[in-house]
Amino acid sequence: MLMQIRGVRKSFGDHEVLRDVNMELDRGDVITILGPSGSGKTTFLRCLNFLEQADGGTMELAGDKINLASASKKEIASVRKKTAFVFQNYNLFANKTALENVTLGLTAGRGMDKAKAEEIGRKALEKVGLLERAGYYPAQLSGGQQQRVGIARAVAAAPDVILFDEPTSALDPELVGEVLAVMKQLAEEGVTMIVVTHEMKFARDVATHVIFMADGVVVEEGSSEEIFTRPKEERTKRFLKRVLPEDYEEGALFI
Amino acid sequence: MELDYEFMQKTFFEVWQGAGVTLSLTALSLLIATAPAFYLAVLRLRGSTASRSIARLYVSFVRGTPIILQILLLYSLLPSILNVLVKAAGLDFNIFESVSPFWYAVVVFSLNTTALLAEVFRSALLAIPKGQLEAGLSIGLSELTTYVRVIIPQALVVALPNICNVTVNLIKGTSLAFLMTVKDVMAIGKVSASYGYNYIEAYVDVFVVYLVLCSIVQVLYRFAELRLGAFRGNDWN
Repeated sequence: MLMQIRGVRKSFGDHEVLRDVNMELDRGDVITILGPSGSGKTTFLRCLNFLEQADGGTMELAGDKINLASASKKEIASVRKKTAFVFQNYNLFANKTALENVTLGLTAGRGMDKAKAEEIGRKALEKVGLLERAGYYPAQLSGGQQQRVGIARAVAAAPDVILFDEPTSALDPELVGEVLAVMKQLAEEGVTMIVVTHEMKFARDVATHVIFMADGVVVEEGSSEEIFTRPKEERTKRFLKRVLPEDYEEGALFI
Repeated sequence: MELDYEFMQKTFFEVWQGAGVTLSLTALSLLIATAPAFYLAVLRLRGSTASRSIARLYVSFVRGTPIILQILLLYSLLPSILNVLVKAAGLDFNIFESVSPFWYAVVVFSLNTTALLAEVFRSALLAIPKGQLEAGLSIGLSELTTYVRVIIPQALVVALPNICNVTVNLIKGTSLAFLMTVKDVMAIGKVSASYGYNYIEAYVDVFVVYLVLCSIVQVLYRFAELRLGAFRGNDWN
């Protein structure tokens, strides 16, 4: 077991966003988290990287057991070293080139020497098909290219698991494909991922395990086949019916 | 009305000799103000409730009073206070004779500029999206490193037009230093004029000098903005 997460709770004021969320994953797993907006899936992902501090819960990651609510600075640093985060809005460093975006965490964060970091950075950019854009600033790249650099930045850190927070939600529809293709390629190479997404096709085709969340709890989980073809819970059925009308009612798209 | 062109020409070059004082007063004040202004800005954004209020109070004190009053008040107050301190320390040192009024002007304008720059820095830091810090943290940078390498360089570019504003206003504002008998552009112009009552000629000279100085400064800032802001892409300007 690579990662085991137990009992994550989080409230914003009076609003309880996460109520006892559990999850486990093995190396090479691709877990997608689906759910209506407001279900807490993004907050859950952010708690795993301490971008939000959970009110309760534990995480076991590669042998270390950490309390999500009271982790020390050192523990947080070690988790961030073993995980990487891909943001919905890319969040590339605006004043750094594509290559610098990828290498900054290695040099300034881990003290790697520049030449070594650039070698890793170039490999990561090559993997996402953007090596020839290494010297470009984010403002000079399309949204899809920026997100691919964001993925390269995550890959370069060689983390145990990459967390994707709705990586294609901010993209123009015609740019979604290039990002999903990169993610699919990573999945095939055995990179462990947790992906919060609204891309049902990606979830269905790539995920090894699908989690459906609503109102701060995991409503149902299983293999992608189980969730997409034989959902048990009423809540899951209703959600899938809304986002995948064509699979449920023939011709629904033509009305 | 007949202008004395010969006087005007002669005075023009005399007035230029004050440009050094005007510019060094401006540059020193900016330089001295930068670090405390940045500290105040960070306090206002991230400090405790008490330090936030203190920072805000300071800014509103400075902004809420005319600079001419700040000059007159501090110029009356500072030498006397320093004198008391020197005497209390038992030193044999005559404050009133040994400290050039230039330094009192530096103090006044530094205090003033600190408040103005604090506001400029604060709004510039606020303009940088929170995601930049999150991205830095997520790849294992410390908060300080993320600020130094990512957020401050971006905020500086955002702040440059306003820093330019502060600088130009400061150049013009230092003309009030003649009240403290500092021999800047304005003071030299006034003194020259008073010999033969050639006020119009002298003031036109002074006018031109300030115009030239401020224009040069604006061009320099524009250049710096283009250079430092290159990452924003070419279509930005």
